[in-house]
Amino acid sequence: MVTALQDDMFTPDVIADPYTYYGRLRDEDPVHWNETYALWVITRHDDLVWLTRHHELFSSAVFKNDPRPPYPAIDESDLGLYEYVRNYQGDQFIQHDRPEHLAARRVVHGYFTPKSMEAWRPFVQKAVKELLDAAEDKGRMDIMRDLATPLPVLVIAQMMGVPDKERHYVRELAEKLLYIGRGEHDRMKPLTEGMQGMIDYVSPLVDERIVNPGDDFISVLANGEKQGVFSRHEVLVNTSLLLLAGHETTINLICNGTLAFLQHPDQWALLKEDPAGRTRWATEECLRYDSPVKSIQRIATQDVEMRGKVLGKADRIRWFMSSANRDPDVFANPQRFDITRQPNPHVAFGSGTHHCLGATLARVEGQEIFKALAERFPNLQGDTTGLEYQPSITFRSLKSLPVTWQ
Amino acid sequence: MARKLRVWVDHQTCVGNAMCETIAPKVFRLNDNRQSEAVDPAADTVEKILEAAESCPVSAIFVEDAETGERLFP
Repeated sequence: MVTALQDDMFTPDVIADPYTYYGRLRDEDPVHWNETYALWVITRHDDLVWLTRHHELFSSAVFKNDPRPPYPAIDESDLGLYEYVRNYQGDQFIQHDRPEHLAARRVVHGYFTPKSMEAWRPFVQKAVKELLDAAEDKGRMDIMRDLATPLPVLVIAQMMGVPDKERHYVRELAEKLLYIGRGEHDRMKPLTEGMQGMIDYVSPLVDERIVNPGDDFISVLANGEKQGVFSRHEVLVNTSLLLLAGHETTINLICNGTLAFLQHPDQWALLKEDPAGRTRWATEECLRYDSPVKSIQRIATQDVEMRGKVLGKADRIRWFMSSANRDPDVFANPQRFDITRQPNPHVAFGSGTHHCLGATLARVEGQEIFKALAERFPNLQGDTTGLEYQPSITFRSLKSLPVTWQ
Repeated sequence: MARKLRVWVDHQTCVGNAMCETIAPKVFRLNDNRQSEAVDPAADTVEKILEAAESCPVSAIFVEDAETGERLFP
């Protein structure tokens, strides 16, 4: 007989170690009704893949289609701010279904093909080298602050034509946007400040690119307005979405991956034997083992039966890639960090029509970082006890990761 | 005489993003697993098929010249 599953996904235990809690759900009740937050929790790999590939049954327009108040509860005085959040989030192209999603994706898709992203590899390599050069003599750094954050911010800012001196400000705004997946009752204030700050920041950039388009990514979005696919508000919201998505998840890949190597010296030794040759599959294993994004939500468009249960029309569905990526039916020894794992059909980037637009860019950045770290700081060490994570059910985000190498 | 192509999709890699089906719907079709199949490589131009292959976010589409075996993508 199993003990009752506690239903709070925001407790410090579950935030610190999501794998035990969601792993238990996957074993005991893979299609689980979470009473506390009134949503379905999906934890098996095959269910997740099926669900993501049936976009007609599970709407991505979560904010538009969910009239219920946010969870966990927020201060009642902030319900007006939540309306602002709904309007802002609702205009993001990832919060749309076909046919609107497809039209929007076609505007941006070509910019992010594997071939186009490979062309950014030399820029990424140079940026990684400069960041490691700056840290080398100090003999220590915070991976989060000194490497994982500046690299992807640098790359996405370059793609968007954001001036050097403003990158720090963009990151400050992005940190406020991360309150979207958090549980604090007073989170609406910093979240809406971040959203309005982003709109105010990108507005003049968009105005400028409408008149003088270049080869930067804001021009791609601005062109979507000219084609009649996006309204101005959608261009602004999508610009800030991609500024955020372009770096937050990669930060987590770099930090969580580096932590996995610190915790598994045998795998670090393996990477060091052949950094250039092994970094590709090592990066895939980092994505699987401690995925940057833990979960994503959908809304059922009709009653759907799954494992003998009925996911009712308009029910909230939350699927956990961090659990699917440890599913023993798909991965041998799933709790083992094994950088030679091949094939590695993890779902860190989701699947189906909403598969992560920036997946190749994230891969390029991860591959170059892990390779460079293994080549230049072979004695990398860090205290892996007592590390803290942001209290989010969306992102698997460390607060800091101090390391030394001398 | 148009060039004959051999086109296939690697199902270990395909994530069912379906951009290929959008670009060349007569050539690519999603199967019951919602993964792409190259159902008729002769149904569109070489350019469209290569555009579809390039647009695959996980590079799961392979294109060869059916007669010479020359790899056209990736």
